[in-house]
Amino acid sequence: MTSLDVSTDVLIVGAGPTGLYGAYYAGFRGLATTVVDVLPKPGGQVMALYPEKQIRDVAAIPAIRGRDFVAALVEQASAGKPTYLLGRQAVTLEHHDGEPVVTLDDGTVVHARAVVLTSGIGMPTPRRLGCGEEWLGTGLSYFVIDPQVHADQDVVIVGGGDSALDWADALGPIARSVTVVHRRASFRGHAATLERVRAAGTRMRTDTQVVTLDGDLAAGRLANVTLREKSGDETVVAADHVIAALGFVSDLGPLRDWGLQLRARSVAVDRSMRTSLPRVYAAGDLTDYPGKVKLMSVGFGEVATAMNHVAVDLDPDLTLFPGHSTEEGPYAEEGSR
Amino acid sequence: MTYVIGAACVDVLDRSCIEVCPVDCIYVGERKSYINAAECIDCGACEVECPTEAIVAERKARKDEALSLHLVDSRAFFEQPLPGRDAPLGNAGGAQHLGDVGVDTPLVAALAPGSAQ
Repeated sequence: MTSLDVSTDVLIVGAGPTGLYGAYYAGFRGLATTVVDVLPKPGGQVMALYPEKQIRDVAAIPAIRGRDFVAALVEQASAGKPTYLLGRQAVTLEHHDGEPVVTLDDGTVVHARAVVLTSGIGMPTPRRLGCGEEWLGTGLSYFVIDPQVHADQDVVIVGGGDSALDWADALGPIARSVTVVHRRASFRGHAATLERVRAAGTRMRTDTQVVTLDGDLAAGRLANVTLREKSGDETVVAADHVIAALGFVSDLGPLRDWGLQLRARSVAVDRSMRTSLPRVYAAGDLTDYPGKVKLMSVGFGEVATAMNHVAVDLDPDLTLFPGHSTEEGPYAEEGSR
Repeated sequence: MTYVIGAACVDVLDRSCIEVCPVDCIYVGERKSYINAAECIDCGACEVECPTEAIVAERKARKDEALSLHLVDSRAFFEQPLPGRDAPLGNAGGAQHLGDVGVDTPLVAALAPGSAQ
């Protein structure tokens, strides 16, 4: 074992609602739990797509804002003291001596006695610009990792949502110039940010698309971009860097290649939530079986089923039925044992 | 459950829906876009984005005669061979990789220009 090795009873891949409830449940069953997610924060689809919307279809909660719901799930899971490995992607899954070994993209190797996949619709990847892909890594990027990199640059930001506006807002005082290029007339992002970006003197080019990126490709020096307006008029503007903030598209990601039995965009499971691989379970929107309904309520039930089976797999002396959570101190006194 | 794009999209093709779809399940024909029901995760992001309000939830569309036709037609776009093609489009797993399909269903192709109004 190296410093990059982690050992755990159960590794949960995906920190959305199903994974977080799974972390609670694993703790309730007395399992040492590790949760990995490619996103930097827990909450999955809820935080990515509707953090401010009201959720009304979870038992006993008449209505709750997305981000509050996630915070409550994290709090509930905290009783079992899970280890979070966030901002890291599970890249490979192998079996050593019958037990799963998962390697993350930062080199961390997780030795788990069981894995529960709760990665839902999968990994968000940036939507491509559609031109100038050869500049990726030099004159084109999909994220702003360090705003200072753009100091004294002419920056062109493409997109009309919150990311585009947030980055325009952040780079305004740092870059030599910021031009926001958006295909439509109106912006999707927050009105207050838009107002601030406009007030800062950012050039806003609406009803406009980027059609080419030009410069010294060999030297990695972008010089300008060609913009085409809806009318067909083209203009060339100076640009040292283009940031494409066109949103994200999700797909299964690396687990497509793990040898799991798949059905379209889903992982096939049996009624115990077992996948086709030993000691690998799945729950939530990721799974498929006849009659499947993709809802959080269903994911919660599935992950409880999965964790109870995991508990018995790892310790055959345990019973499938966990006992009742109403009993006192289910964690501290090894109540589930 | 899914969402359906109605006639209000025809010849408009604003594509704002495509920008917000988290699973890239909105495919462009020639004059109209189509949502792949098998790939749609029912998040509703596209519905509010459409400038012509062409996108409607399936459960609402079923109560409207014209939209019901588009619901059936949208399935046909993926499940039946399109004009000039031998095989159905199927579930391509993402419109971005596929590019514009460039062909409409017979129902949409036969719509008069200005059907969106």
